[in-house]
Amino acid sequence: MKKRKRDVAYKFLIIVIFILIWEASSRLGLLDPQFIPSFSNIVDTLFNIFLSENFIVNVGISVERALLGFIVSILIGIPLGFLLGGWFQKLDLVMEPVIEIFSQVNPFILFHIFLLLLGIGEGTKIAVIAWTCTWPIMFNTIYGIRHVDQLLLKEARSFGITRTKLFYKVVVPATLPSIFVGIRISAGYSFFMLIAAEMMGASSGLGWLLLSYQQIYDIKRIFATAVIIAFLGLILDIIIKNIQNVFAAGRENN
Amino acid sequence: MNKLKNNCNYYILRYSGVVLLIVLWEILPRIGVFNPQFIPAFSTVIAQIYVLWLKNNLITNIMVTLWRVLVGLMIAAVIAVPLGLVLGGWFNRTADLLDPLFRIFGQVNPFSLLPAFILFFGMGEITKLAVIAWTSIWPILYNTVSGAKSTDKLLIKTAVSMKISNWQLFKKVLIPSAAPSIFAGLRVGTEMSFFIVIAAEMISSNAGLGWLFHNASMNNQIPRMYSAGLFIIILGVLLNRFLVYFQNKIFFWKDTGYNFSFIKLKKLKSKFSRRQIAALALVTVIIIGIGSIEVSYSNTPNFNSGFMNKMDEDQMNMEHDNKSNSDHMHMDMKK
Amino acid sequence: MAEKNNDYKIIIKNIKKIYDVLSDDEESSKNFLAVEDFSLNIKKGEFITIVGPSGCGKSTVLDILAGLAKPTSGEIYIDDELVKGPGFDRGIILQGYALFPWLNVEQNIEFGLEIKGISKRERKETAEKFINLVGLDKFKSRYPHELSGGMKQRVAIARALAYDPEILLMDEPFAAVDAQTREILQEELLTIWEKTKKTVIFITHSIEEAIFLADRVVVMKDNPGRIEKIIDLNLERPRNTANIRTSKEYNIVWNEIWQLLHDDRKEKQLDYI
Repeated sequence: MKKRKRDVAYKFLIIVIFILIWEASSRLGLLDPQFIPSFSNIVDTLFNIFLSENFIVNVGISVERALLGFIVSILIGIPLGFLLGGWFQKLDLVMEPVIEIFSQVNPFILFHIFLLLLGIGEGTKIAVIAWTCTWPIMFNTIYGIRHVDQLLLKEARSFGITRTKLFYKVVVPATLPSIFVGIRISAGYSFFMLIAAEMMGASSGLGWLLLSYQQIYDIKRIFATAVIIAFLGLILDIIIKNIQNVFAAGRENN
Repeated sequence: MNKLKNNCNYYILRYSGVVLLIVLWEILPRIGVFNPQFIPAFSTVIAQIYVLWLKNNLITNIMVTLWRVLVGLMIAAVIAVPLGLVLGGWFNRTADLLDPLFRIFGQVNPFSLLPAFILFFGMGEITKLAVIAWTSIWPILYNTVSGAKSTDKLLIKTAVSMKISNWQLFKKVLIPSAAPSIFAGLRVGTEMSFFIVIAAEMISSNAGLGWLFHNASMNNQIPRMYSAGLFIIILGVLLNRFLVYFQNKIFFWKDTGYNFSFIKLKKLKSKFSRRQIAALALVTVIIIGIGSIEVSYSNTPNFNSGFMNKMDEDQMNMEHDNKSNSDHMHMDMKK
Repeated sequence: MAEKNNDYKIIIKNIKKIYDVLSDDEESSKNFLAVEDFSLNIKKGEFITIVGPSGCGKSTVLDILAGLAKPTSGEIYIDDELVKGPGFDRGIILQGYALFPWLNVEQNIEFGLEIKGISKRERKETAEKFINLVGLDKFKSRYPHELSGGMKQRVAIARALAYDPEILLMDEPFAAVDAQTREILQEELLTIWEKTKKTVIFITHSIEEAIFLADRVVVMKDNPGRIEKIIDLNLERPRNTANIRTSKEYNIVWNEIWQLLHDDRKEKQLDYI
């Protein structure tokens, strides 16, 4: 295991080096502090705003929204993906053009339309996040199903297995890696849309905070918030990657 | 005769979903299931498109958006593809180590750092292009590195045994081998580019489809909103189809299978003919040419897309814009 | 002009190769002796086959011969010159064809010539010659994914021959083809060899193949990789697949090689019991 540990250490090191270069450039005056504050300043600011109760509350609100939208997208995306996975040929035939069109609906557009219909409440934001995140999950699920190894199916069928069992014991596990790819992509999108939605029409949350900082031009707070947002997104990604590894034990992963 | 009948049946079935959708869109608002104030009937929306086309510069807005997408993508590609090839082809280890750093950068939402962008690049087009490029760079980079890394080692071995120079190896083996992945990355990049240009145009612009939509929404011109939105969808579908067609044509030698598309295309055998490549190049040049003219025109203070604008000074001030946006929205809802 | 080594095209002296690999628990790296004490002198125009179990280092030797790897110790001389890297005098053909999927048959064959910098017209002429030699003239505009395994292998051979190396290095080229095609390819290879008079070093798993093709057979063993025995063959040419298996000499040699290769297996079995 040492080699892997060494690799992880190196990766950490690169991030540390990056931070050091950033800090050094700031101190040497290479980076105008009005545009890009030094890393230490950002950390400082982070401590300050964390101490104010408000910030943590906003983080909580944001995370809640993102997670809700994300979970809804999973709940919708996976079953839809299975439905359109290729068993019902006529359904596929009819739905494919419809999906092609719907998948091109830009969530930013949808946001304003939802604003019209649903008002400015939580529903709008969560709906937009869910919309954006459903597509990768659905598409990847469909891809996974359509690419289940035919040999696997043949072998399983030769055991005289029932259709339901075939589904649960062969098809689902074989599709799982693709589903997880979709979930990971969606996780990334969820945070992205969260911030976008909060910047466009909200009165709480990290995106809204970001917007207010932008309006008063507090560059340190802007960067600090941006760092937190990136950090949260990264954590979600890491968590999902680990869950992915548990499920895909023994498989080649990326 | 039978074949014709089968074909007809196929197409009827195929587009029945879309047709049903359109019919519903037309009927439901009219009979009041949907409030026609909020969801106008399909024909109303189409009529608006017609109006936009004739009386106001729909073409301008389309060209401007296309231009931004194209140029932003090119900037991203010019940076990400060579970088990715070098990293994936030669500095494998470094590529692996840099991966977490790149992933973190990919998480950074360009809108959060918009002030930094603006200060670096100013209030004009370049900022928007930078935002678009930033979003597209990461998928292109990732796919390029992945493609370069997965070059068949046997191919490299064979080429090296023929005493190939490094540059020839790069040009004749690495690039063709990585090309499918690079293109996949470019596809995702284009989609992201198109995705985000709308948002960028909503925030700070006075032309483009995103702006058109946003402006209509601000001025409560609902049908216009929908027409702009519809047009964005149509453009997106066309773009996607084109990319898939392009991909299948160029990479005819690759077993597809990795295709995310729903569009069933026959496996095309030949490469692009000279004429087709020339046509493609021409279209690109036209988009860039006309687009840049429209864009620079639209950025002059006198530009008026034919709609009721806020005062030009205000438009130049993004923060004010945002403030008034959210104010406006709050006010709307309070009605 | 020293005449002393005139007889030999290739002189392989005491090749040893040690690899750094990860130890089993991935804690550290350890040395892996891939091949040691490999010496062989090869005459011009000879057909040598190397046969041995997996891991006996035969591919390593071929890589070093091709100039794709450096030996830990030992030297190889070709035409009395020390081998330091790849060269135009050697062509390699690998198992798995390694055809460039984005080039058609003709372009694949021209690849080596392109690298050599030969003019387009000349390239086309030469390529055509070799396409005809392997009998693929009707397929010259086809792409690899449209070809069968046997055809792909023929293209690989034509590609290696096209830039006219004097030495052909072949690493189990027919392993991925079905048995019938394999027999056909073997005979075709011998025909081409007789026509073009190349020096060939051919690696295989199959004792049958090794004997059928060769002038001399090099038998290798693993743990560590080394030459066990070099056998001169007295079988007449042209070799004929129909008759050869009934020839007495063939069967004697076959048995000898089989024994050499399975000697330690017997020992291992006893240990186990």
